[in-house]
Amino acid sequence: MVLVKLRKRLKSLISKMFKKKSDVKIGLYGPVNSGKTTLANKICTDWLGEDIGKASVVPHETREIQVKEKVKIESNGKSLTFNLVDTPGIATKIDFEDFIKHGMKKKAAKQRAKEATKGVIEAIKWLDNVDMVLVVLDSTKDPLDQVNITILGNLDARKIPFIVVANKVDLKSSKASRVREAFPNYKTIGISAKTGFNVEELYNHLVDAV
Amino acid sequence: MMKKKRGEKHMNLKIKFVPYEKFKENNLGKFMKELKHNTIVLIDAKLSADEEAKLIKETMEKVSNDFSGIEMNSLELSTGKQESGIDVVKNMIIERITGKKRGLTIIGPAKTVRQIRKNPEELLLYM
Repeated sequence: MVLVKLRKRLKSLISKMFKKKSDVKIGLYGPVNSGKTTLANKICTDWLGEDIGKASVVPHETREIQVKEKVKIESNGKSLTFNLVDTPGIATKIDFEDFIKHGMKKKAAKQRAKEATKGVIEAIKWLDNVDMVLVVLDSTKDPLDQVNITILGNLDARKIPFIVVANKVDLKSSKASRVREAFPNYKTIGISAKTGFNVEELYNHLVDAV
Repeated sequence: MMKKKRGEKHMNLKIKFVPYEKFKENNLGKFMKELKHNTIVLIDAKLSADEEAKLIKETMEKVSNDFSGIEMNSLELSTGKQESGIDVVKNMIIERITGKKRGLTIIGPAKTVRQIRKNPEELLLYM
């Protein structure tokens, strides 16, 4: 067990040493429906002129890892090229009946639930492949949800740098300050991926962080 | 035991206390079996981030039409000097339940937890 962990750590160190700057992978992580794909689309349309995937109010719209390569952002006279990794939302429960409530047929709902469970597993596995993470949280919801704590705890334990993104600040019920207060030791930026509010600030932090 | 609506059978709900050492010894598959059978599990420690991630992965592998997953909550004993009144009470409860100073993890089947949340006054505990 210890040997396996050591080998993993050594492999990751060596690959980091020889990694080109353009090979950097930035992952979007967060709970379901926090706006990860909306943010990924915002980043991709701003810098590549095209979307990465479909965003939806129906939970688990993103059920597979989606990668957009060579995204080059420029901010404050600096630039950064990276591969953007949009991941399915992390959840501890997936009930096919919830999809039926969103108007899906029973068969389709069961299929979606099945795919969603695989998506969560893939997202957790991909934690070993990303170099930096944007933890996208819905600022209208309680930030101290167990899923958020598990994601942040895993990033901390794996020493993966990250920025907490308090998304959906355009909504009336948004409380970005609550996210900041919940995680005072982490860098937190309030944005609206939908309207683009403060996304420029996020780009400034990104080019400095990597 | 939790009452169900008129005409429905009572739902048997078990609360099981699992020492952290036993949780670590057993494989997660065995542990998941308990959760699938309407049991709320209390572990006398806060799980590590890695253990939580493994538990989520294992849960996702076991999700089916009858088992929708889990709700989990890890409570850590606060060790800071400037503890709030709530922290002091929380610590007292955790220490009283576990007898140890290393936190508490509560894990339950998602559907059961949802039912308890809907009708908390219908939860009857026989001790």
